[in-house]
Amino acid sequence: MIQVRNLHKSYRVHSARKGVAGAFRDLFSRQSYEVNAVQDISFHIPRGEIVGYIGENGAGKSTTIKMLTGILTPSCGEIICNGMNPHMQREAYVKTIGVVFGQRSQLWWDIAVQESFRLLKKVYQVDDRTYQHHMDLILSTLDLSELLDKPVRKLSLGQRMRAELAAALLHNPAILFLDEPTIGLDVLVKMKIREFLKEINQTYQTTILLTTHDISDIEALCERVIMLDGGNIIYDGNLSELRRKYVTKKQISFEFTKPTDIQTLSSQTEHLNLKWKAGENMHQWIGILPISIREKASISEVMTAVSKQNEIVDLQVRELALEEIIRKIYEKGAVHG
Amino acid sequence: MDKYFVMIRMRFLTMLAYRMEYYTGIIIYSINIGAYYFLWKAIYGSQGEIGNVDFVQMTTYVAIGWMARSFYYNNIDREIAADIQEGKVAIELIRPYDYVLMKTAQAFGEGVFRFFCFAVPGFIIVSLLFPVHLPSDPFLWVSFFVSIFFSFLIFTQINLAVGLTTFFFYNNRGFMRAKRILLDLLSGLLIPIYLFPAWVQSIFTFLPFQSISYVPSMIFSGGFTTELVYLSIGKQLLWSVILIVPIMLLWKTAKKIVVVQGG
Amino acid sequence: MRYIELFLQYSGQYIKTRLAYRSDVVVGFLFDLLQQVVNLTFIFLVFDYTSSMNGWSRDEVIFIYGYFLIPFSIFMAFFNIWQFNDEYIIKGQMDRVLTRPIHSLYQVLLEKMELESLLGCLTGATIMIFSGFALNISFGIKDMLLFLPFVIGGVLVYGGVFVFLASLAFFTDSKLSIMPMMYNVGNYGRYPIQIYNRAIRFVLTWILPFAFVGSYPASYFLNRTEWVGYALFTPIMGLIVFIISIYFWNYGVKKYRGVGS
Repeated sequence: MIQVRNLHKSYRVHSARKGVAGAFRDLFSRQSYEVNAVQDISFHIPRGEIVGYIGENGAGKSTTIKMLTGILTPSCGEIICNGMNPHMQREAYVKTIGVVFGQRSQLWWDIAVQESFRLLKKVYQVDDRTYQHHMDLILSTLDLSELLDKPVRKLSLGQRMRAELAAALLHNPAILFLDEPTIGLDVLVKMKIREFLKEINQTYQTTILLTTHDISDIEALCERVIMLDGGNIIYDGNLSELRRKYVTKKQISFEFTKPTDIQTLSSQTEHLNLKWKAGENMHQWIGILPISIREKASISEVMTAVSKQNEIVDLQVRELALEEIIRKIYEKGAVHG
Repeated sequence: MDKYFVMIRMRFLTMLAYRMEYYTGIIIYSINIGAYYFLWKAIYGSQGEIGNVDFVQMTTYVAIGWMARSFYYNNIDREIAADIQEGKVAIELIRPYDYVLMKTAQAFGEGVFRFFCFAVPGFIIVSLLFPVHLPSDPFLWVSFFVSIFFSFLIFTQINLAVGLTTFFFYNNRGFMRAKRILLDLLSGLLIPIYLFPAWVQSIFTFLPFQSISYVPSMIFSGGFTTELVYLSIGKQLLWSVILIVPIMLLWKTAKKIVVVQGG
Repeated sequence: MRYIELFLQYSGQYIKTRLAYRSDVVVGFLFDLLQQVVNLTFIFLVFDYTSSMNGWSRDEVIFIYGYFLIPFSIFMAFFNIWQFNDEYIIKGQMDRVLTRPIHSLYQVLLEKMELESLLGCLTGATIMIFSGFALNISFGIKDMLLFLPFVIGGVLVYGGVFVFLASLAFFTDSKLSIMPMMYNVGNYGRYPIQIYNRAIRFVLTWILPFAFVGSYPASYFLNRTEWVGYALFTPIMGLIVFIISIYFWNYGVKKYRGVGS
C-alpha cells in the first residue's frame, strides 16, 4: 500500500545576519546552508494497518508526510502509494488519499459545514449514491448531523476536528494521513476520534498513518510505530515489542501502617532480587523488581514476603510508561528493532 | 523622551528588515514617475510652456513630488485602525507612554528610514533617468528641506486623525481608502494645483492638502517666488499647529470610550 | 466540463458569503469609481492646455482608458493572487491545495476569486460608450465579434504575467514586491502606447505585453489602421503569455518545499 525506499529530502535555508550592519549585508549577499530533513528512510505499510509515526520536532515527520501526500518532491528515493508516484501523478493520486493537518483547516471558514462538504464532493467527484451511503455512516459515527448548518468559524475546536475528519474521508480514501489530529483537544473528544478511526479502519480497511505528540493516541490506535530521529528511522516495529524490550523493571510502592527501615525490608526479602528505595516518609517504601521470565510469580512472591511481616495500607504496581520509554530511546540514541 | 527615541530606532530597524521593499520601492516610484513623464511629454508636444512652466520644470515637479512622497508617506492610519479593531489600544493605555506620541515616534522612525534609504537614493536614480533640473540657489534647497519636514508632519497628523476616527466608526476602511486616493490628487502630486480651474484653486487654499506635496515640489522646481516660498512655509507651519486640535479632541474622546467600553 | 462545474460551485458559494457583506461590495465599487474619477480628472485637466497627446485627442485617450478597464476588471476578479506568497506559501495553505485532485493554480484562483471587481467592467463600458459617441465611432458586427477575443486576450496577458510572478514564490522565501511593481507597469497600458519612447514601447509589446490589454485592441476600435496587425495578435499574445506562465507555475510546484513543520 505504502512503499518507501531510500527516501531523502534536503533543502537550502537562508539565514539572516545579526544587527543593522548584518541587515545591510543581507541586502547584497545572503548566507545559506543545506538541511537534511529526511536522510534515508525505507519502510513498507500493508493495507489496513494503523501506523504511528513519531519523533521530536524537526525529526522529519512532517517532511515525510508531505512527500507521501504528494506535496513535496523527494530529493532522492522512491515512493509508491496505491500503486502511484505521489508527486508525479499528484491529481490522480490525491483522490485515493485523505489528509488532515491538525493545525490547518481543510474547510471553508465562512460557509456552513454542509456546503464545504458539497464543494469537496464536487472536487473529488463522488457520485450521489456512494456519498449518501458513506457519509451517513461517517456523520452518525462522528455525531456531526447537528453541526452541518453551522459555519466552520462558529465550531469549537473539537467539533471542527470532527468535521475535518469527515471532510478527509468524504471520498472514502484508501489511505488516511493524519498530522497531529488530536492537538489541543480535550480527552473526551480525543477518545471519540480514536474510536472513530478504529471503526473506519475496520469497516473500510483504511490504512492510517498518523503523527502525534500524544503517546496515548499511539497506545490507543497503533500496533506498529515508526520512530524518527534526525531524519532517520530509529525504530520500526511492534508497540508491544518496544515495550518488552525497554520495560525492564517494575516498581511496587507500599504504604505500611508502621514506620520501617531499609535494612528490615531488605532482610525480609533477601531471597528475592528486589531493591528498596525510600518513599516520601518512613511509612512508604518502593521496591524495584527487574522483570524476568518468571515475572508474574515474582510479584506474588514479593507480596507474600512483605505482607507476612508488615501490615499494608496501600499498594501500587507500575511499569515504565511508553512516554518514558520513548524518552529513554531518544536519550540513548539509535536502536534497531 | 528616551522611550520615544527607542520607538524611533525600533521602527527604523523594522523597516530595514523589509529589504525587498527597499529595492522595489525605488523602482515602483520610478515607474510611476516614468508614466507621468511620458504623459507630460506627450501633452507638452511642441508647446514650450504650459502655465509658465516648461517641460523640464514639470519633470522636476513630478520627480521631486514622488520622491518627497517616498519620505512623508506612512500607514499609521491603518495601524491605528488595526490596533483599535484588535482591541490593542486598551493595552497600550496601560503602558507608561502616550499612545499618539508613540505612533508619531514610529512614523518618525519610518520617515528617517524612508529619507535615507528610499528618498535620497531614489532621487539620485530618478535624476539619472529623467531630465531633472536641480535648483542652484541654496535658499531653495534649505526651504525645500524645511517644507518637506512640514509635509511629513501634516501628512502624519492627517493620518493620526483619520486613524483615530476608527473609535467612532468601527469599520472605517473605506474612509481611509478614500483619503489615500483623494490625497494624491488634492495634494498636487498627480497634477500641479495651478492647472486646476481658478475656483477650485481658491477652495484648495483653505485646505491643508496642498501643503503636503504641491508646496515642496513647487519650491524645488523653482515655480515659487521668494515671497511665495515664505508664505507657503508659513502656511505649512500654521496647518501643522491647527491640526493638533482635532487630534487632541479625537484622542480625548476616544480615551473616554476606551475606559467605558474597554476598547 | 468538471472544471466549469467547479467554477459554478465556487461562484455560488462566493456569492452566498459575499451577500452577507453587501455594503462592502457597494463601498468597494464606489472607491473604484473614485479612483477612475481621479485618473480621468487628470486627463480632463491637461486637455484644457493641449488639444492632442502625440496625435491622440482627449476622447480617444479616454476611450482607450475605458476599454482598458474591461479586461483589467476581469483580471482583478479572477487573478486576485497578490497575496499568494503570504497566504499560500508562508501560511502553508499550498499544502492543502496540493492534496486535492484539481490543478493547483485553478484551485488558488477559484479560492481567491473576487467577483465584485467585475463591476469595474460597467465603469469601463460606460466611459467607452460615452467617448465612443463623442467620437462618432461605428461599432459593426465584425467589431462585436472581435471584442470578446480581444478582451480575453488582454485578461490572459495580465493574468499570465501575474501568475508568472506569483510562481516566483515557489523559489524564494523572501517577501516579493515584484507584483506591485508590475501592477504599476501595467498602468502604462491605460494610455496610447505611442506616447512612450521606443524602448518602453518594445517592452510593453514584447516583454511585458501590457500594450495588448488596452492600447492595441482599443486603437482598432478607434479605426486607427496603423496597428491593426498588433490588435489582431492580441488573443494569440494572451495565449502565449498564459501558457508560458502555466508551465512556469507547474515547474514551481515541483520545486515547492513547503513551510517548516
